[in-house]
Amino acid sequence: MTNVAPLIEAPAEVESSRRGFLFQTLRRRPAAVIGATILVLVGLTAVLAPWIAPYGLHTQVGRVFGHPSWRHPLGLDDGGIDMVTLLMWGVRVSLVVGFAATFVSMAIGGAIGVVAGYFGGVVDTILMRITDYFLVVPDVPLMIVVAAIWGPSLFHIIIVIGILLWTSTARVIRAQVKSVRERVYVKRARALGAGHTRIVLRHVLPQVAPLLIANTVLTIAVAIFDETALSFLGLGDPSTTSLGQVIEHAFERTAISSGAWWAIVPPGALVALIILACSLVGGSLEDALNPRLRVAHLSARTFRLRPLVGRGTDAL
Amino acid sequence: MRGIDYVLKRIGFAVVTIFVAVTINFVLFRLAPGSAVTNLSRVPHATQQLRHALEVQFGLDKSKGEQYVIYLKQLLHGNLGVSFEYEQPVSKELRIALINTLPMVTLGTLFSILIGTLTGVIAAWRRGTPVEALTVSSALGFYSMPTQWLGLMLIIIFSGVLPTGGMTNEFLLNPGFWQHLKDLASHIVLPSLTLGLVLYGEYTLIVRSAMLETLGEDYILTARAKGLKPWTIVRKHALRNAMLPITTLVALSLGYIVAGAILIEIVFSWPGIGRAVYEAVLQRDYPMLQGAFLLLTISVVICNLIADLLYFKLDPRITE
Amino acid sequence: MRKRWLAAAPLIIAALIFATTATGSGKKAAASGGTFRVGTASGIDSLNPFVAFNQDAYSTFEYIYPVLVQYNSHLKFAPFFARSWHSSNHGKTWTFKTQPHAKWSDGKPLTAADAAWTINIAIKYEGGATANLAGLVAHITKASAPNATTLVVHYKQAAGNVLGQFQQFFILPKHIWAQHLGHKGAGLKRFANGAPVVGSGPFNLVKYTPKSIALFQRNSSYWGVKPKVQGFGLQQFSNDDAMVQALKAHQLDALETVPATAIKTLRNSGFAVSDVPGLDQTDFIINSNPKKKKHRELLNLKVKEAFDHAIDRKKIDSVTFLGAAQPANSIIPATTGSWHNPHLKTVSFNLDLANKILDKAGFKRGSGGIRLAHGKKMSYNVITPTDVQSIPRTFQIIQTDFKKIGVQLNQKALDSSTAFSVMSGPNNTYQGFDLAMWDWTALIDPDFMLSVVTCDQYGGWSDSGYCNKKYDRMYSKQQLTPNQTKRRQIVWQMQAYLYKQRPYLWLANDDSVSAVSKSWVGFKNTAQGPFNELNIQGLTQVHQK
Repeated sequence: MTNVAPLIEAPAEVESSRRGFLFQTLRRRPAAVIGATILVLVGLTAVLAPWIAPYGLHTQVGRVFGHPSWRHPLGLDDGGIDMVTLLMWGVRVSLVVGFAATFVSMAIGGAIGVVAGYFGGVVDTILMRITDYFLVVPDVPLMIVVAAIWGPSLFHIIIVIGILLWTSTARVIRAQVKSVRERVYVKRARALGAGHTRIVLRHVLPQVAPLLIANTVLTIAVAIFDETALSFLGLGDPSTTSLGQVIEHAFERTAISSGAWWAIVPPGALVALIILACSLVGGSLEDALNPRLRVAHLSARTFRLRPLVGRGTDAL
Repeated sequence: MRGIDYVLKRIGFAVVTIFVAVTINFVLFRLAPGSAVTNLSRVPHATQQLRHALEVQFGLDKSKGEQYVIYLKQLLHGNLGVSFEYEQPVSKELRIALINTLPMVTLGTLFSILIGTLTGVIAAWRRGTPVEALTVSSALGFYSMPTQWLGLMLIIIFSGVLPTGGMTNEFLLNPGFWQHLKDLASHIVLPSLTLGLVLYGEYTLIVRSAMLETLGEDYILTARAKGLKPWTIVRKHALRNAMLPITTLVALSLGYIVAGAILIEIVFSWPGIGRAVYEAVLQRDYPMLQGAFLLLTISVVICNLIADLLYFKLDPRITE
Repeated sequence: MRKRWLAAAPLIIAALIFATTATGSGKKAAASGGTFRVGTASGIDSLNPFVAFNQDAYSTFEYIYPVLVQYNSHLKFAPFFARSWHSSNHGKTWTFKTQPHAKWSDGKPLTAADAAWTINIAIKYEGGATANLAGLVAHITKASAPNATTLVVHYKQAAGNVLGQFQQFFILPKHIWAQHLGHKGAGLKRFANGAPVVGSGPFNLVKYTPKSIALFQRNSSYWGVKPKVQGFGLQQFSNDDAMVQALKAHQLDALETVPATAIKTLRNSGFAVSDVPGLDQTDFIINSNPKKKKHRELLNLKVKEAFDHAIDRKKIDSVTFLGAAQPANSIIPATTGSWHNPHLKTVSFNLDLANKILDKAGFKRGSGGIRLAHGKKMSYNVITPTDVQSIPRTFQIIQTDFKKIGVQLNQKALDSSTAFSVMSGPNNTYQGFDLAMWDWTALIDPDFMLSVVTCDQYGGWSDSGYCNKKYDRMYSKQQLTPNQTKRRQIVWQMQAYLYKQRPYLWLANDDSVSAVSKSWVGFKNTAQGPFNELNIQGLTQVHQK
């Protein structure tokens, strides 16, 4: 497959086989299969944590920073709690943060994107200027400031991450909505007197959905990433056990210099694994949808890049 | 002339963004529940008198509106105020922090661009081979690692071999130039390497995409048909054209990198701007936070502006 | 252009790698002339005594400025800049004979006049610029220096802790600071007092970079016993782990404070770890505001007693502190010496007893096993400051045990400034919280710790909302009792009273743990750590083997 497909063709291709699209992508791309498998496994662990975790989350089962053993393959943490148990529960909280924050950002970004793209004109201009502002604000420092001001709680973390991650969604959605709006059947529906809401829900959203899914998966990765960062800075919720919290706890209690690598290596590796899986799945989806967008998704880490190829707000 | 309008528009937008940032800064920080005075005075040796004295001194007894006007006026004079915590001008504290951050960030970025370009080119050129799979998956791997965690891993690996904290061996009094440079170099390796590694994955993917696109163009096919050596094609034709998106992306990302160095600076006790932000948050040092945040926003806005103008200059197709 | 740049980059990297491998570990610096390298996780916040707050800053002043008196190793007052002293006029006048022929580090004479000037300036601007020192000059009307070696201090009324206050009072060089008075003394706070600082102690501060380093060199013109080392340095780390690593890699010679989790590994790697009882106490705060509106059952002394019995101090000691803590039972820690009331017993951990007390008091268990008080669940938010490292673990332990007595605790972590404003509430009414956890660092003299539960401290130091007229009367009485034996009696009574009233449940008395490389000796640890403001023994005695 070459990467020079013209912009318009990609969505057209999607249109024909929207329903089977997810599966087709998965079938054609081994990377996506690997990513999806990891995500499913991690997701299952998270859901089943209360039943499959070998010990209690708050149960001291040995001494502080106990070595790995048969009974505790990944050793014990700084409170004498089994690491495997902590990781299972940690994945659960991290995924909750990832999904919830993404949901918030999807809701905001989706709404702004749809409204801006559908109505155009002044509304579009204003909304896009706001988007531009959020795009240039250095988001990690802003997250730190807001999280610090609101105080550490899981809910705050979710909201903080959510309200800073919506810009790329808004842009992607808006561009799609714009192009869909001009399609013949949408125009016809409008001519037949269908309301805005109906048009958006019935005609626009289904078209945008695959792209939205790709974007969602990638945003989940960023959200989980940001949660570990905030936790590491001591801005996480201490009463919950997320993977970021596990790393932070171990670091605060000098796990590295105490030689307790098992308290700090596995949780980080697990975060990396989840982010990798999300990138693989999201990247493949986006790639399949529109190979030219590839740069657009590279939005994780500490900064966000704008879609370069076909750049500018109207070029998508 | 082409695009004076465009340039003016971009600059205008940059100015507006900075003003919005200034205002949001003020509002954001003043809405905070914990007051700086409570924090400053909750330590031995403090008295009721001290609390009041601090409030008066930092203008916290005035209304929020008055405080905003004072803040704007001072900003116009280039005065960022006085740090609550250090009682020193914020601009001075920030300058020192920024000067400390820049070499570390620059080195890390250079590293990532170099390695990223190299692996990106290789991945594109060897498309479909195990070499591509290897470069792309290692790039994705590093890209997925939490920054602070990668830093900690490097500490585990290199502890005892390289210094794991601070910017220089602070106990050296009046070191010679070369001694100082060597000392600095040994301290800068791990933080820069961390930054370089987490960034390079991203650059690899960008360069690969850009290269793949150019490699598919007709003129490359022509060059290939002419029997030019593969490396010559990459160097003379493909890379040169791919440089356009790469350069702009780099300019664009620079502003964020400074902001993103926070985690690295905490892990490696690097006395830079990121640590300044973090400590100011914990101390509720409003002027310091506002100043740092403003500085970061401005640097991002300016880098954006540069990227815009650069792209505009490099790509003749843009006429807005 | 581009090509050349690309070509140069590998060169830069190669040079860097070369430079790195050539530098190796930090062992070289130790050989460069007997500089003792100390690591700290807190650090000096300011070199200006009118601004500074951190312990490290005050310890620094102890080494670079003259102080009238110091504590000896038995925590008794010993001569320092004042060679002798006596009080007259029923304790209202104090006369100090100060060190003759002393000099500041810039060669100017250091006399009693400097001391008198510093005291008078602290009094003059106590409502403003010198508010930081106001507590130390309370009750003083004025000070004078009739000659170079005599300092006379006049008091409004006889005070109970004159020497305790002067032990913390640093004498500044008049000829430097008088230039920085500014308008109403405001300039005193603006003066950065950057290195090299003009002082007169065993060391001169020669280099200071905020958040990274303070370097001290032996003061050749010092009037007292000269230090054995050439100098010492205090390096600040932003995290404990990096600090411990640096010690292990011999980039440092000693740590001022060692995190509990690192004690074992440092001992195993051959460092001398000193673990002595400290002055820091972790507490569990029960809002004891008598006018409290919600959850008034928390004012019930029986409830407080039951809570106290549900705290597993042994487990806290072993898990949170890994054994580096002592049981705590009073607002005045045992490390203050005779000020601590020795008759107080550490409360036992006994869940059955706790349950019985609550049952007897009529708090029946409701759904989910949570007890009910006045029809409401005994479920409380516990406010915890994020910057006290021992709290998360300790809270988990307490939470688990409280569940067994039918009390639900939920942690509400806030950064310290927010936590404190939530606790004191709007207009300092102390209505906004039920329970909290924090820690206090006591001074040797008990006055300060006893003051934090007085009604006067509403909006000031009070974090418990405790206000009791009977207690307040005892507090002022001890303040105005110059006879230290009589004062101790009152201080003991006050502790016994608080023991029953329980505004605080004392969880642990953290040890002061320091570590030093085996090639150094004489780095004496104290309750306040080896680098402290009690005296100058720690760093004047230390030397290489």
